[in-house]
Amino acid sequence: MNWQLWLAQIRAVVRLEMRKTFLSRRGLWVYLLAAAPVLLFFGRTVDVMRSREWFDTSVAPHAVSRAALESIQPGANLEDVEARLGEPYSRRVFQSRRHSQTWLSYTDGSNTYTFRFSDGTLEGVSTRDRANFQDDALIYATFFQFFYLRLLIFFGCVGIFVNLFRGEMMNKSLHFYLLAPVRREVLVAGKFVAGLIAASVIFCTSTALQLWMFSIPFHATIESLHAANYIGVTALACLGYGSVFLAAGLIAVNPLLPAAIVLLWEAANLFLPSALKKISIIFYLQSLCPVLAPPEKDMNPLLALLVNSAEPTPAALAILGLLAVTALVLTWSAFRARKLEINYSSD
Amino acid sequence: MTPPPLEQSLITFDNVSRFYGEVLGVNRVTLSIPPGITSLVGPNGSGKTTLMNLMTALVRPTRGSIRILGITPHQPEKLFALLGYSTQFDAFPKGLTGFQFIYSFLRLFGKPHLECERLASQAIERVNLAEAAHRKIAGYSKGMRQRIKLAQAIAHDPRVLVLDEPLNGLDPLVRAETIAMFRELANQGRHVIVSSHILHEVDMISDQVILLSNGYVVAEGKISGVRSEIRDQPMQVLIRCNRPSALAAKVFDEDSVVEARLHSDGGGLLIKTRDADKFYRLLNHIALNGIEIETVAPADDNVNSVYEYLIGEEPQK
Repeated sequence: MNWQLWLAQIRAVVRLEMRKTFLSRRGLWVYLLAAAPVLLFFGRTVDVMRSREWFDTSVAPHAVSRAALESIQPGANLEDVEARLGEPYSRRVFQSRRHSQTWLSYTDGSNTYTFRFSDGTLEGVSTRDRANFQDDALIYATFFQFFYLRLLIFFGCVGIFVNLFRGEMMNKSLHFYLLAPVRREVLVAGKFVAGLIAASVIFCTSTALQLWMFSIPFHATIESLHAANYIGVTALACLGYGSVFLAAGLIAVNPLLPAAIVLLWEAANLFLPSALKKISIIFYLQSLCPVLAPPEKDMNPLLALLVNSAEPTPAALAILGLLAVTALVLTWSAFRARKLEINYSSD
Repeated sequence: MTPPPLEQSLITFDNVSRFYGEVLGVNRVTLSIPPGITSLVGPNGSGKTTLMNLMTALVRPTRGSIRILGITPHQPEKLFALLGYSTQFDAFPKGLTGFQFIYSFLRLFGKPHLECERLASQAIERVNLAEAAHRKIAGYSKGMRQRIKLAQAIAHDPRVLVLDEPLNGLDPLVRAETIAMFRELANQGRHVIVSSHILHEVDMISDQVILLSNGYVVAEGKISGVRSEIRDQPMQVLIRCNRPSALAAKVFDEDSVVEARLHSDGGGLLIKTRDADKFYRLLNHIALNGIEIETVAPADDNVNSVYEYLIGEEPQK
């Protein structure tokens, strides 16, 4: 075993690949994927700050006591409610041919109460604590698990890792590596490390920026944000999905096909038997997410299913499981790479 | 110093076939290539590149086995330490200069930075590309790209050089320099395996040729040896002498001579004979009997003729 030589060769492959993965035009959309949630949370932060300022200057001075607000019961009359609570800070009316819907919003200074009337009779009240960090943390957890892991990192890894081999076959430059005295296994390792560095840098930076944006309105601490956990899960997602899409780039002429199959497999994970669940990336990642979004009463059942792991696994086991799946896929990739041929015309 | 065992100085193909689906690449190739310049000659699609790719494990044989100086192509860590391949692929890793291309390639060997720099500079100088070394390959002309590929193939001082159409796109001066380099490398006891369409160059540089047609090896060995094996085509001999008509009359006494054609200038003739050895013995006898023979030279003892006889068409230029 010539570990020293192999490490030097892996470093050489990584050096060559970094330029391609970070600066390739073909990978531009990966940056857009990573930047999109940062922009989303930036927009949200601006909106929250502005509405908070408006609330503090325009609404808070008209606060009503909490006791008065909570004394209003369903079935109450619109005129009675207005007579008891005074003029609302917001009124919305929807008039159809047969019915009218009215929403009156009040505040006690920190929470907002929205009363919904149908034809002048109170049907329901929704309350929102404007400064409740826990609610927003849950929103972020849902976003992270449902969109960021399952879609953005997933497709980002498709863009980065599939191109490690497939992109070079399309450029007709893969033979450059195959004519060097490098074991194919070492080549796979070098390319994977390069892809992992690129994906981790891009997506972990995105996660950190999202959390920072998210924290600004709440002045939240790093600990309360579980920043290290989220960034760790992001890196592990790059590791797991990266190995899968590197393998896909080795076998498939059109990488969209394996990407679609993996996407379906990951989505179907929730409905699979316990043994099959473990042969997926999302199973382990969900178990590692710091805030498990509990299904709310009025949450869409499908969404509730998606954001909750039915069988959460202890963190250590989840990490080991993910590493095992990754190692398995990379071993298979190395085996395939040994049989790899250069036949650009048919690729 | 004891010489290496024979197997370790040869490139051998043992009953090698390669099919691309139902399309034949090469079939039942058995070869033993000694050091020196070996040219692979054949029309497009004859299997030249497939043979080179098989040697370098870019494709795998469907059947049979290959050994390069005793090493199988599926040990890249050993094989490419002693083999350099300049492929026909005209594509390079993006964004690299000529120097970076060679340097990065050498780094893959695990060599240290300074050694890689030194070897890269040496290789680039050897192909006369020093002035353009720090320019992006994307801006290189066809000839420069050909030379940088050659530099990559020789950068690590390999014992076996496999070069797919290495003279394509080179101007006459560089072409001559490159051929001289091949000769120098061959004289050092290395294998230089070249594929080419340009037969007069093949003739000039080759120690031996391998003629391919439709995936089969139709002939191999030294050109004169290959020519003498083609018995259904009479050998052509060009003779310059003082009395060509008299010579023609005399040689026609010989059964093996099938044709004698006088030169229009009256100073020589072209003879076609089925038995060259017998004809040369006769010629010695004739020379002693009053006809002054100035020169005698085989007229079809070259790759072009051999190619035409065996493959039956002019290679695509």
